[in-house]
Amino acid sequence: MRVSAPVRATVQRLTLPILIFISALLAVLGKADVLLFDRVRVLLADTLAPVLQVAGEPIASVSNAIGVVEDVVTVYRQNQELEIENQRLLQWQQVARRLESENEELRNLVRFAPQGAVSSVAAQVIADSGGAFLRNVLVDVGRRDGVARGQPAMTGDGLVGRVIELGDRTARILLLTDINSHIPVVVEGTHERAMLDGDNSDQPRLVYVQPKTPVKPGDRIVTSGSGGVFPPGLPVGVVASVKGMIRVELYADLARLEMVRIVNYGLDGVLPETAIPGSRAARARTDPAR
Amino acid sequence: MSYSWHRDYFGFVARMVPGTTTILFTLMSLLPFHVPSFGSIAPSFALMAVFHWTVYRPDLLPLGVVFLAGLLLDLLNGTPYVGLSALVLLLVRTGVLSQRRVFSRRPFSVLWLGFLGVAIGAFVFEWAFVSLMQVHFMVPRSFVFQTLVTAACFPIGSYVLALAHRAMPALSA
Repeated sequence: MRVSAPVRATVQRLTLPILIFISALLAVLGKADVLLFDRVRVLLADTLAPVLQVAGEPIASVSNAIGVVEDVVTVYRQNQELEIENQRLLQWQQVARRLESENEELRNLVRFAPQGAVSSVAAQVIADSGGAFLRNVLVDVGRRDGVARGQPAMTGDGLVGRVIELGDRTARILLLTDINSHIPVVVEGTHERAMLDGDNSDQPRLVYVQPKTPVKPGDRIVTSGSGGVFPPGLPVGVVASVKGMIRVELYADLARLEMVRIVNYGLDGVLPETAIPGSRAARARTDPAR
Repeated sequence: MSYSWHRDYFGFVARMVPGTTTILFTLMSLLPFHVPSFGSIAPSFALMAVFHWTVYRPDLLPLGVVFLAGLLLDLLNGTPYVGLSALVLLLVRTGVLSQRRVFSRRPFSVLWLGFLGVAIGAFVFEWAFVSLMQVHFMVPRSFVFQTLVTAACFPIGSYVLALAHRAMPALSA
């Protein structure tokens, strides 16, 4: 195509301001139409998941190799630690057996129906957020594996976060440490409800605690089940410090996430997209004339 | 390093090298490196690529590719501010392009220092933007670390890009 020189020069001169304007506009107004971006994002993540998986392979093998060397170095110390831990666990096993039988008797008394996990699926982390202000990971399971929005992601140690975005074969987990993560929790033993708010630091804050509540370092924090997104009692962490702000040390090591388990407790407390005020789906539903 | 004699003889494939490597570098910063806490301080490879090519061959790194790389990064890393990285990369390209003379035919240390300045500028901008949008004073620690890690990794990134740069004449043959 032949374009006259002045026209081409004008187009070239305008490209930069236009692109800068578009990106600034997107960045500022992006929150206005979250759903559209979510859809594009999910599509892109689904499409690029195989690429990211393959690209991650060599890194995984290198880190595995490093892991093997580390293991050999630390095996003696670990063995000693494990023996001590084993002793302690055997004692706990006794306690647990006793409690279990006691629990069963009590359950028979009240005909209690346990609300356990319906199913769970193991997922591998295929992408880190790679940003200083983001705490999320992309995992390699999605809708086709039975994952749904709002489901909790756990490691063996405790809660990690929840599913916020869902594709057919990918899901994005918002970690508890992200500034947009707010989880209803309870301080075990006090029955005192509070919120666990991430602020992008390693230890999320415990907020909305009643002033008179005696919270002290070492107190266990578990999910409260309020809101119906998480079941009550999922282990979250322990209170690390109470000076000024109450901070919680998480059980799960979010710094080295490789595998997580996404658990389906059969809860549907998470709001459907149509219930988000101002979202396209909601507008379409409430205003059929459009 | 002078490539000026090849300037107009590059074939189609060779001309694609700056754009392609920029996109690849962008994807690289998303990979899980399984290093503790790496995700939040991962070096911004996209920034390196945009800086490198703007200094050496700005003619072969179109604005559209810079914009796309930023948009791709934002869409894949799950940020609520889609467009922020695109904005930062475009500003970096504009800034570096205007100061290009400072970097041409200078020792690598000058380039590295320049990149450190650019990285500081980019991350301060991001930090200020996110703090403003969240109406919350973001802990600057991980931004500082990300700046340092990005600057520290620049020689590696720059070396890889220089290899690609040197392969360009061969690719156009």
